[in-house]
Amino acid sequence: MITRPALLCCRFLAALLLPLITAGALAAPAAEPIRIGVAEALTGPASQYGIPILNGFLLAAEEINAAGGINGQKLLLVTEDERGKKEEAINVFKKLIFQEKVLLIFGPTLSNSMFAAGPIANAAHVVAFGTSNTATGITDIGPYIFRSSPMESDVVPATLKTVGAHLPLHRVGIIYGNDDAFTKSGYDVFKSTLQQQQVAVVDTETYSRGDVDFKAQLTKLKAAQVDAIICPCLAEEGANILIQARALGLSVPFIGGNGFNSPALLDNAKSAAEGTWVGSPWFDGNTAAENQRFLRAYRQKFHSDPNQFSAQSYDALWMLVDTLKKITLTSQLDKNRELLRDALPMVSFAGATGPFSFRPAPSHQGKPGGYDAHQTPFVYVVRHGKFTLVR
Amino acid sequence: MSWADWWATYSTLVLSVGVYGMMALSISLTLSCGLLTLANAAFMGIGAYVSAIATTAFDLPFFEALLLGTLGSTFVALLIGLPVLRLSGVYLAMATLGFGEVVRIILLNLDITGGPLGLNGIPSLTQWWHVLSALLGTVFLLRCLRASRIGRAFEAIREDETAARLMGINTHPLKLLAFVLGAAIAGLAGGLNAHYTFTLSPGNFGFENAVDILTMAVLGGIRGLPGPLLGGAIVTLLPEVLRDLQDYRMAANGLILILVVLFLPQGLWDPQRIRGWFKRA
Repeated sequence: MITRPALLCCRFLAALLLPLITAGALAAPAAEPIRIGVAEALTGPASQYGIPILNGFLLAAEEINAAGGINGQKLLLVTEDERGKKEEAINVFKKLIFQEKVLLIFGPTLSNSMFAAGPIANAAHVVAFGTSNTATGITDIGPYIFRSSPMESDVVPATLKTVGAHLPLHRVGIIYGNDDAFTKSGYDVFKSTLQQQQVAVVDTETYSRGDVDFKAQLTKLKAAQVDAIICPCLAEEGANILIQARALGLSVPFIGGNGFNSPALLDNAKSAAEGTWVGSPWFDGNTAAENQRFLRAYRQKFHSDPNQFSAQSYDALWMLVDTLKKITLTSQLDKNRELLRDALPMVSFAGATGPFSFRPAPSHQGKPGGYDAHQTPFVYVVRHGKFTLVR
Repeated sequence: MSWADWWATYSTLVLSVGVYGMMALSISLTLSCGLLTLANAAFMGIGAYVSAIATTAFDLPFFEALLLGTLGSTFVALLIGLPVLRLSGVYLAMATLGFGEVVRIILLNLDITGGPLGLNGIPSLTQWWHVLSALLGTVFLLRCLRASRIGRAFEAIREDETAARLMGINTHPLKLLAFVLGAAIAGLAGGLNAHYTFTLSPGNFGFENAVDILTMAVLGGIRGLPGPLLGGAIVTLLPEVLRDLQDYRMAANGLILILVVLFLPQGLWDPQRIRGWFKRA
């Protein structure tokens, strides 16, 4: 696991840099660090997302503090493990808000945990900033809920439109996991978008989480003679589905959701992934200077490739810094939390995931909602074993 | 830390200790009758879902919703208990485990339960005194039960079912009573749990939770009412207390449980051992 050494490394660096900075700023009184809560799933099954997310935060925090912090104040990340469980997410949120007295909380990792812990932050008037929650309804919790992860309902229409411009898309089949919140909500969005774009769904197949044999479903999809197969699956099952489809002689392209945007898909499926379409908020081949800098720094620090989740958390912390530079913090925590919540919606930012801004969520029954991500997704296709951007 | 801050931070944890104390008591009731059932998590789920649907979709008052949840799980327990309790030992454990899976799959596929997305935006209605009075009520009920003819019959069934039957105890209805009463307690605990955690999803009431609940009862000891309460509190608090160990937290958690079971096979609360201490002194 990378988190411990990374954390130690971070502390070591801070210890090295601290004397330099205090020496330089002797005139100004030593400022208190700004405490930022990070509640992510660092152990348990959801840690495959939580750890890259934490890495993104650690990298950004290191860069920010090395550059002198925010108006002389350092950032201090207070990290807690929420294990992807709703009760733990609530406990961690309460601890961060009432005991650690953080200014804002990033996380939790899973949408289900946000549904549990979000109301706590909202009632305490503290911003809860999700970087990986894609389920619909998250921002209905209240005006203190922000997320920088675009919903599937933003990504999928763009994906299907791009695919439709390059391929004949008249009859499609769908295969998805019907016992998982992520894949089920992906399916719901694909279904309604296909209906809007008047594409006929001729066959729908399902599987359960942890299944390894998909030949029965794929044989049916083959018999249905579809133009493409929609697969709002996670990368683990996705790779298996692709390999088995090609083995059955099913050569139509696959269209994946957010879950397909993973280096693991290419590593596991190899040539079977050829011609697979993916829509995602981040693209590792994006040549924008911000993204290239992020890629370089991440590889140098963690000796591994970043994924979409680390890019999103990295951007989120920089976004926060942008906002904090624009406001003057007072000595009262409650007031600071309100100041931050009022300033955050104005974010206009370009980072590793491209241009970003917030969009107010529609209010329900007069209750104000939070803020969703407003971002154009990247649509890409696997060609010659690499993700290639399609315009 | 001031009292207000402490309560704001740990109120959910305190409520969880109470609710899981009730869960441990509910499974210890069937264990005290010699039945190893693993359906308590599923009954908790039924109670939680029924009462949460009652407050969110039908706008019923909290008490009526709790009552509905309790009755819901009681009713299901009655239906399932009649055939299933003819089994015993591992077969009973397997059948109740299977029942738990059936409940989870049904919750995953119904529209009214929100499928895999679960139920969200459940109002926060559970107060500390709701949990406290439910817990005290449960303890009082079980205390009366243990002191009564029925409680002695439970004990007789646990020690030797054939002998109990020869003594003229009608074992089947009594076993059903233990099972159904356990389900009612679990259903009430589920209803309380749903209204302080804001959200429910089918995964909350699966196999893992069933084993957790059994662990609480076995760890605490089932030869008295303080045992399950103690076990419930420890299993709920341990992960929070060990938070400073970070990545090794769950490993330490497991290690502590193994050591207790290894060296105190009767559980932490063992009246005989405690009496022994006093005699020696």
